[in-house]
Amino acid sequence: MPPIAQYVFNGLVTGGILALPAIAFSLLWRLLRFPNFAVSTYLTVGAYVALALNHGLRAPIALAWLGALAGTGAVALAVDRIAFRPMRDRRPFSLAIASIGVAFVLENVVRFVWGNDFRSYDVPVTRAMSAAGLRIGRDQMLILGVAVVLMALAQAFLLKSRLGIAMRATADNPLLAAVKGVPTERVIAAATFGGGALAGGAGVFLGFDASIDPLMGAGLIISVFAAAILGGVGSAPGALCGALIVGIVEEAGTMLIPPTYKTAIGFAIILVVLLVRPTGLAGARA
Amino acid sequence: MTTLTRRQLLKASGTAGLVLGAPAILRAQSKEPIPIGTLCPLTGAGGSYGPDMQRAVVAVVERINKAGGINGRPVALFHEDDQTNAEAGVRAARKLIDVNKVVAIVSTWASAVTLAVKPLCVEAKVFLIGVSGADAVTQGDHKGYIARTQPNTNLQGRMYAKFAISKKEWKRVAYVALQTPYAVSFGDAFTGVLKAAGVTITDNFIYEDKKPSYRSEVTRVIATNPDLIMLEGYTPDSVVMAKDLYKAGYKGAILGPTFAINAKFIEGAGGDVAEGIWSMDRAPLFDSPAYKEFSAAVPRGDQSPYAPQAWDQMSLVALALAAGKGEVSGTVIKDNLRAVSNPPGTVVYSFADGAKLLAEGKKINYEGASGSCDFDQIGDILSAPFSVQQVRKGKSEPVMIINP
Repeated sequence: MPPIAQYVFNGLVTGGILALPAIAFSLLWRLLRFPNFAVSTYLTVGAYVALALNHGLRAPIALAWLGALAGTGAVALAVDRIAFRPMRDRRPFSLAIASIGVAFVLENVVRFVWGNDFRSYDVPVTRAMSAAGLRIGRDQMLILGVAVVLMALAQAFLLKSRLGIAMRATADNPLLAAVKGVPTERVIAAATFGGGALAGGAGVFLGFDASIDPLMGAGLIISVFAAAILGGVGSAPGALCGALIVGIVEEAGTMLIPPTYKTAIGFAIILVVLLVRPTGLAGARA
Repeated sequence: MTTLTRRQLLKASGTAGLVLGAPAILRAQSKEPIPIGTLCPLTGAGGSYGPDMQRAVVAVVERINKAGGINGRPVALFHEDDQTNAEAGVRAARKLIDVNKVVAIVSTWASAVTLAVKPLCVEAKVFLIGVSGADAVTQGDHKGYIARTQPNTNLQGRMYAKFAISKKEWKRVAYVALQTPYAVSFGDAFTGVLKAAGVTITDNFIYEDKKPSYRSEVTRVIATNPDLIMLEGYTPDSVVMAKDLYKAGYKGAILGPTFAINAKFIEGAGGDVAEGIWSMDRAPLFDSPAYKEFSAAVPRGDQSPYAPQAWDQMSLVALALAAGKGEVSGTVIKDNLRAVSNPPGTVVYSFADGAKLLAEGKKINYEGASGSCDFDQIGDILSAPFSVQQVRKGKSEPVMIINP
């Protein structure tokens, strides 16, 4: 039996990757009042933008990653302009369905351009270091570190900057914020760009850690959804905690149940949270 | 523009119906071609295999027609593309059966397509022979209209185990498989043979597709300390799994199917990760005269594991029809398949030789390019050679042939 610490560490890395789209998903839900299921497809978009830079322009992976942040943010912005903005005053249900449509379109654009085959970045695969019986990969540490920094930046932005405060105000009460002179559309644009960038960055991590294919993001939607629900919709720290818990439970669950049922763990978490504490972990404060 | 009135259409189709519906005996005496359909994947996931299969079938038919046809009647081929898609496959099969009136459909590839087309063929009494591996293909009451030249998963599992046992240093083996319709049946056969040979099965589990990483699956399997990990997956998940095994410091052996451990795998996983990984797949019968004739007739055919099977499928269908003494139907093919393919009988390696002996009233036993082509009662082949390959210096190199 391998040490439980190994599973927890594996779960932390998975959770770290999940946290970025979970935060984007959660904040955009709060701000625009609908669950945007296209967020998980932004991971795919990000991974392929970085692939184009890494393979096409021979950019090093770090530069490609930055390019993916900007590129996916821009794609998210364009999607908002074309698909969601004209529907701003519709019911959340219509928008949620529209977001599923957007996810299909993006996925197939990726397919059309890059094909259906899986790809990999041009980076060497390295063996993990072993410390006290715990195997720790260099790439995994890097992913976890960058994810934490990115989340800290996002949180600082929300709490300290004018735009971040305006964002939270709009999320709390869009009408009141607009009356008080908050430029609602600009706030939404900034949040959309930021959310897209977070998800796109996570997509590069995912491609870096595993491999890149047009369905890579869509496969994560249940886990992302579970993390956001568990954390409490609208809370960035909540989404982070939710993602880490989902990651650890999914990985450690492999010890007890057959790995075939990994996805069921996400569903089970959603079910339990909605039954026991529908507001999520951070629900009381939100 | 001429418009066809309903009455004219009725008349026309009535006449056509009369001609086509006339007793087979009447038509059999003519030199009317025998319609046979191909349903290969020319596009889609199987698109790299279908064209070679179709070329092999065409080459066999050219030889049949040059040799005077089947009991004097030439073969007319009708080609359809199944797009490696069950729905497209069904549409194409409907067209072959209803419009072209084929008596046999040869060379389906994907199990999903074969399974979807199967009920249509059984209902229309059209003979169907393909290269699909899923056990369900030959299961159920298909009345003998279905057969295949690809080993079923049980035979595959046993052949993989035979190779693993031959490697004496592999005392502890783990079976790790992607969730597919054949993962369990393959695993049962594989681990069953190994256990009987005294090999320890350290772990045995099925994993899910499309997971961001397989770190915990890898953690679990490495903890059982295996000498060999049998990785039964497709290329994309095998890449992630192999990378995670490498990152986790696994230094033992890995064995997988060649359709997963291919050039795409080596490119995706990288040379360091892929180096030394073993793979197996069904091999053709390289020494067979039928294989020599096949490889001379079909350019690049030796690159495909399925083209030799397509060659044999068309030859078997033609021989079974030749044994039918002038009657032509799917039922004749299924009734005579085993008589021309299985022992006893004089061994023949081509349609021309077989048809000559059949005309003299002798029994024959066709031995093909892909194997000995002997079928059991449900339409599965009884044995097949397998080739073992290993990734060496970034290329998958053939190492040996495992004979049944």
